[in-house]
Amino acid sequence: MSDSARFLRNVLIKAALLFAAANLLFTALDPLPWLGGLSLYNSLLPGRPRFPFGERPDQAYNLSLNSLEAMFASHELAAGLKPADEFRVLLIGDSSVWGFLLENEDTLAAQMNAAALRTKHGRTVRVYNLGYPTISLTKDLLILDEAMSYQPDLILWLVTLESLPYNKQIFTPLVQYNPARARALIAEYGLAIDPDAPEFADLSFWQRTLIGQRRPLADLLRLQLYGFPWAATSIDQYYPESYTPRADDLPPVMAYYDLEVDYSAKDVAFDVLAAGVARAGGVPVLIVNEPMFIAAGQNSDFRYNFFYPKWAYDRYRQLLANEAAAHGWLYADLWQAVDNGEYTNSAIHLTPRGEAVLAQELLRLLEPFINP
Amino acid sequence: MTLAQIGIFAALGLLAGAVQTRLPRRWAMLALSVLAVFWLQPALPIRGLDFWLPLVSLGLSAAVWAITLPSGIRAERRDGIAGLVILALALGVALTRHLPGLCCLTPSRPPETLPVLIALAAFVGLVWLAARGFGRQPWTLHARVAALALIFVILKSEPLTGAAAAGLRSLAGQNPALAAPVDIRWLGFSYLAFRLIHVLRDRLSGRLPVLHLDEFLTYAVFFPALTAGPIDRIERFQKDLQADFRMDATRLQAAGERLAQGLFMKFVLGDGLALFALNPQNAAQVQTGGWAWLLLYAYALRLFFDFAGYTHIAIGLGLLFGVRLSENFNRPYLQPNLTAFWNTWHMTLTSWLRAYIFSPFTRALRARRWPAGPIILLSQLLTMLLVGLWHGITWNFIIWGLWHGLGLFVHNRWAGWAKDRPALPPRLAALGGGLLTFHFVALGWVWFALPTPQLAGRVLRVLLGGAP
Amino acid sequence: MTQDIQDRLNAYITAQIMKQPGRTLGADEALISGGLIDSFSLVDLALFVEESFGVRIDDTELNAQTFDNLGQLAALIQGRI
Repeated sequence: MSDSARFLRNVLIKAALLFAAANLLFTALDPLPWLGGLSLYNSLLPGRPRFPFGERPDQAYNLSLNSLEAMFASHELAAGLKPADEFRVLLIGDSSVWGFLLENEDTLAAQMNAAALRTKHGRTVRVYNLGYPTISLTKDLLILDEAMSYQPDLILWLVTLESLPYNKQIFTPLVQYNPARARALIAEYGLAIDPDAPEFADLSFWQRTLIGQRRPLADLLRLQLYGFPWAATSIDQYYPESYTPRADDLPPVMAYYDLEVDYSAKDVAFDVLAAGVARAGGVPVLIVNEPMFIAAGQNSDFRYNFFYPKWAYDRYRQLLANEAAAHGWLYADLWQAVDNGEYTNSAIHLTPRGEAVLAQELLRLLEPFINP
Repeated sequence: MTLAQIGIFAALGLLAGAVQTRLPRRWAMLALSVLAVFWLQPALPIRGLDFWLPLVSLGLSAAVWAITLPSGIRAERRDGIAGLVILALALGVALTRHLPGLCCLTPSRPPETLPVLIALAAFVGLVWLAARGFGRQPWTLHARVAALALIFVILKSEPLTGAAAAGLRSLAGQNPALAAPVDIRWLGFSYLAFRLIHVLRDRLSGRLPVLHLDEFLTYAVFFPALTAGPIDRIERFQKDLQADFRMDATRLQAAGERLAQGLFMKFVLGDGLALFALNPQNAAQVQTGGWAWLLLYAYALRLFFDFAGYTHIAIGLGLLFGVRLSENFNRPYLQPNLTAFWNTWHMTLTSWLRAYIFSPFTRALRARRWPAGPIILLSQLLTMLLVGLWHGITWNFIIWGLWHGLGLFVHNRWAGWAKDRPALPPRLAALGGGLLTFHFVALGWVWFALPTPQLAGRVLRVLLGGAP
Repeated sequence: MTQDIQDRLNAYITAQIMKQPGRTLGADEALISGGLIDSFSLVDLALFVEESFGVRIDDTELNAQTFDNLGQLAALIQGRI
């Protein structure tokens, strides 16, 4: 065997061994959460004002991923220690809070910040957008759980009935791909969610290897790289030329998931709301029933909008008010706070003006917390 | 080429390496190259076109081979066999339309067999006539060069490509109103045309070696170099084909190194940088100078890693088959001046243009006793203008070409002037020259990367600190 | 003979192209790849060779692969005289 052949054989053997070792080590150490925490954001790049999310990365300079660590590390909330003179307010909710179709300066959080509110003691009220598009209270709870380490002074949790049905709780990828965290919360707060539901992504040995995890790894890298065009253009979502407006004519459907007409608080995920309040501990959580569009077209005599038959939504408002009173939750019902003309492509997505109106309402509600 | 295609070619290369005799290897390379012309061609919306264009690539190459045979030389038995192999393969590809299982060789279903037979017969007639000595006069050679140049112009000009697409759509019984320039994406034609013109020109100057059809066709559509070059020269390529070749560990190692380097450069660095490289979309959105420079640097590096990486892959694959394709890049961004940059960037294209445009043009003017300055200006502008137009007939490529033509002229004059004057310390001069050259090239890429002068103007304003 | 060709080439290149008359180039000193002769002067060199020795160097041969030093160029000319 020639020198060269021996060299080549050694290279191949060593490469195969290294490859196997790297995969085994990766499986054993599971470094993804730690890697997710490494970020160019808040150092080389500014922090993002809302969580990474997007289905068209090349146009939005943004992408959806399932690493909560990476999502938080890229967020401006993670920029250094909390300043002493900051009164920190976290906004938690769905795509209406994240700001679908809205530029960052028009989101709810930005419009609340624009008021530049100060406490009596001179602390600046700073509102952070922790909304994430997909409707599930359990997804909100995961975010709230992680956000507690950022020392909030107040949490505003915007909810709507659509986020309450039990079969929506683990429907979202963020929950499915963070099974350990979700199960810990289910166990700690005794949530009525099946921890062994097949939706949870429990990875096999092969899926946990370096090769098996190449997709999430690539996502981490892409999130960093898209930071550059995002910082250069401040664009973080795809804005279509035009969109289909929220429906005014509604489907002739009376049913709402599998709920009975006289459903009770136990039939929907109020326990997840309770868990959130408990998780926040001493930090006040203001639960807000978010505004929604009320249609006037076909079938609007028995439905409010695309999402809700009237019976289901009316019942939900009543139950939520009761639960809040019974558990002493801070609660505000703003379902009709915004004019019908200020909705965009969905019954819960607001125009910039709609967000401004809602921001004013929320700032008014904030007053007693800022200056007790 | 996709990763899967590269993998398959590499595997076939290893297989061919295991077959140590020369003859089967040569025929295998011909067969692979012929099939790859069909296989690598992207799908096109005009019915049958993604079969016809590869077929025309083969037909053109064979025809050019026949008319460039030196006078007095006639085709041999070996050439006849090569012709039959090519015909059989093309016909075989066409017949896969009757075998729905064999889907993967052409991007869509091949056209009906009768028109294919007629086309093949026409090509055979042309090649046979030329090989018997008809149509080998210089003027027909010039006419072929002109015809290739004309196709080139049509393919590189969007309005003309659109018109041609409309015509082809009518022929295929499709709606011509839906025609778009992307309807005719002819894989590898830019490179193929330059190889064929090179051969025709060298035949005219009497410098062409005697070639066999199998050698010629393998050269023209050699699959590693089909998509993105290098252009290579036939006499060099022929030497490799005729040389004894035994795959051994040294060669395997060299091929592996080139492949690994190329894959890393193209698919990791190039594709990674692509996420934030300057493009028409972010060019219209970028707001401040600092970020615009970052997008531009990313573009400059991306272009290099993508193209140089591709060349590494092509050379690596070539080595597996015993062919050492020409180098195309030699650290272009680390060169101390613009002339050195163009001697190290896309080298096979620039040396092609030097041989067939710059030098003849310069020689003609110089023989008329023109002074040096104006000749250098004119020939640099002409050459770089053609480099620009080679990429596409648009205002932006014209401006890009002129930018480099002027730059080369200025450097030439400056170098002559600075020769007798006290210079900076050499290392400082090299560093300063390198930075200046890189930024000159990078600013040129603004024109190259963007489709319209308006958009390029916007980015240049932002780069130089102006309002968007 | 080759030495004579080399001397005449040396005189022409140093005086007319490099503008350094009196300098002596080594027979294997890299002319093209070493950056001593640019692509324009290469054409001038080809014209000089054609006039002085009656040997045509084609445009496709004006590159470092064909000749890159005085020795190679002289041999090329010698072979065609």
